[in-house]
Amino acid sequence: MEIRDVPCPFCGCLCDDISVRLDDNRILGVENCCTLGNAKFLSKGRLQHPIMRKNGKWVEVSYEEAIDETARILSDAVRPLLYGWSGTVGEAQVVGVHLGEEIGALIDSTTSVCHNPSILAIQEVGHPGCTLGQVKNRADLVIYWGCNPIEAHPRHMSRYTTYADGYFIDNTVTDRKVIVVDIRRSEGAKVADEFIQIKPGGDYLVLSALRAMVRGRDDVVPDSVAGVKKEQLQRVASLMQKAKFGAVFFGLGITMSRGKYKNVRNAIELVSELNRKTKFTISAMRGHFNVYGFNEVLTWMAGYPFAVDFSRGIAFYNPGETTVIDLLERKEPDACLVIASDPGAHFPKSTIEHMAAIPTVQIDPCVNATTALCQVQIPVAITGIEAAGTAYRMDGVPIRMKKIIETNFPTDQEILERIVTRIREMKRDG
Amino acid sequence: MNVTITFRNRTNPFIPIEAEMITPDAFLQDKEILVGEGNRTVPLEALADLVIEGDGFSIEEVDILIRGDSSRVKRVGEYMNGGTITIEGDIGMHCGNFMSGGRIEILGSAEGWLGREMQGGEILCHGDAGDYCASGYRGGRRGMRGGSVEVIGSVGDFACEHISGGEVLIHGNTGDYACAEMKGGTVTILGDSSRVCANMSAGTCYVYGSAEEMIPTFEKKGIVDHDGLLFHHFMGDVANRGRGHLYVARYTYLQ
Repeated sequence: MEIRDVPCPFCGCLCDDISVRLDDNRILGVENCCTLGNAKFLSKGRLQHPIMRKNGKWVEVSYEEAIDETARILSDAVRPLLYGWSGTVGEAQVVGVHLGEEIGALIDSTTSVCHNPSILAIQEVGHPGCTLGQVKNRADLVIYWGCNPIEAHPRHMSRYTTYADGYFIDNTVTDRKVIVVDIRRSEGAKVADEFIQIKPGGDYLVLSALRAMVRGRDDVVPDSVAGVKKEQLQRVASLMQKAKFGAVFFGLGITMSRGKYKNVRNAIELVSELNRKTKFTISAMRGHFNVYGFNEVLTWMAGYPFAVDFSRGIAFYNPGETTVIDLLERKEPDACLVIASDPGAHFPKSTIEHMAAIPTVQIDPCVNATTALCQVQIPVAITGIEAAGTAYRMDGVPIRMKKIIETNFPTDQEILERIVTRIREMKRDG
Repeated sequence: MNVTITFRNRTNPFIPIEAEMITPDAFLQDKEILVGEGNRTVPLEALADLVIEGDGFSIEEVDILIRGDSSRVKRVGEYMNGGTITIEGDIGMHCGNFMSGGRIEILGSAEGWLGREMQGGEILCHGDAGDYCASGYRGGRRGMRGGSVEVIGSVGDFACEHISGGEVLIHGNTGDYACAEMKGGTVTILGDSSRVCANMSAGTCYVYGSAEEMIPTFEKKGIVDHDGLLFHHFMGDVANRGRGHLYVARYTYLQ
């Protein structure tokens, strides 16, 4: 049996043209997927039962016992942290926000450690963005700045830019120019028409120089900016202004390097300046398949896209103060729930040391690096393969994730609802 | 009226305390002072010994002294409009948020967002201050609008971001992006700074030390004498159509 047009639950591209071959409720093969998505569809090995640490050892427990223990940990906490959310669907995220409000928790997503600065910049100066479909059909100049789609979003170029046929582009190979800006000659740089190599941390300075040049103020720019010759900057500024439709894509190379949201703000302001002369857009290369969705859900429900502190009974947002890394670094949380992400694999050592020192619970289908930090782990269905729901692509387009395999594992949403119910029962019973 | 608040040692000293009610005005009005400790709301007396001596008939007669470990106590002096607050040790984030009058003196160091969006009054910090000293809030277009902030030590990143009025004097160094998006006011940095005045549109900034990695879109206007010293005078940020004034004793570009 073959199921077509399955959205891939891996990265923010949410490629929805995947074909999956099934036999006897098992995936035999996947077509159209990149290496990363393929590995997720065909992954083997998962946690079969909830587990809990007792007397220093992992023991298998029932779902009821694991949920009871999670509810007790979260109810007792004075500064609980709910983290993750980007690898699950909107329906589960909604329950997560309710849980956060119920217990006066701080809720944050993986946005905090990827495009948090992009959102801060957008809150300062807006977002001249567009859908990926617009880029595919119209863009004659594509700029990848501080990102490497060939390795992080492997089908981005073939579906939307360099190798994609566009309705208004006669010949995508000759009519579409690509500029790559990076600190090293990445795989993406090898297929670029123009490669700008910047000294690490120099993005802001180069962006300022380009803004001045687009304004016609080349005179103030020094001969070299962050390792880039003024002549090359002038050439690039000219290419940008001659484009009929330019599209900038940026990644963690500018959001998580020196300057952070100031880099993104400067890139947005460059795009705004270019829009005085031609059509230009800018978009973030989002990572987890539904990281954008959590920003949507939390904004509908709390008014802010990530890092919301419900401890005072209202939603308070202040990245730097209410963001997960800062919070853990200051050792504030006294309990933690992790869902749909793996901070143990990515966070700084000092922060995961604190997660290991407090009661931490993980909801995840598989054993991962975060398991080692936990007291309890509750396995669930794999979202996008065994559970359906709504996810948002990197350009904000909602896509329905499919359930293609039957399973006995409960979904993220079901487990979260049971935790909320148990916490309310505990409160009622005093 | 002399108010002395002495924070007691806590079992978990890392849980933040939100104490926006610690202002001279609240004590003058004899309000019950409630604070947030994590997700619990408790009377101030649950966490600190409180001694109130004498009466006060106006805000100017209220002096608050904070002792003990106040390094995790946030929002002290928020919306303060008169009187004084003296902090013997360190103070947590958002001290002096939105203050419009009175004086805060910190004998130790201050965490982030010291004097955020303040409109008047004075803050003197004898130690260092964290990130976003005298700045604004996320997405905000205006940071500090009036009053004065003086930091004897150094400050973190993004000091005076979005500042649009008032005076700031930093005796030590700043981190990255001091005076980013500056729109008004006067900032004096006696030490070194890096990427100072990025995207400024108006206002005046002096760097007596070295301005590292200068933003490359400022127009050189010449050398001027200020305070008996020679400064390079720049105007910008040209990328932002800015007309701000930046005076630096020394500078470097990242070339």
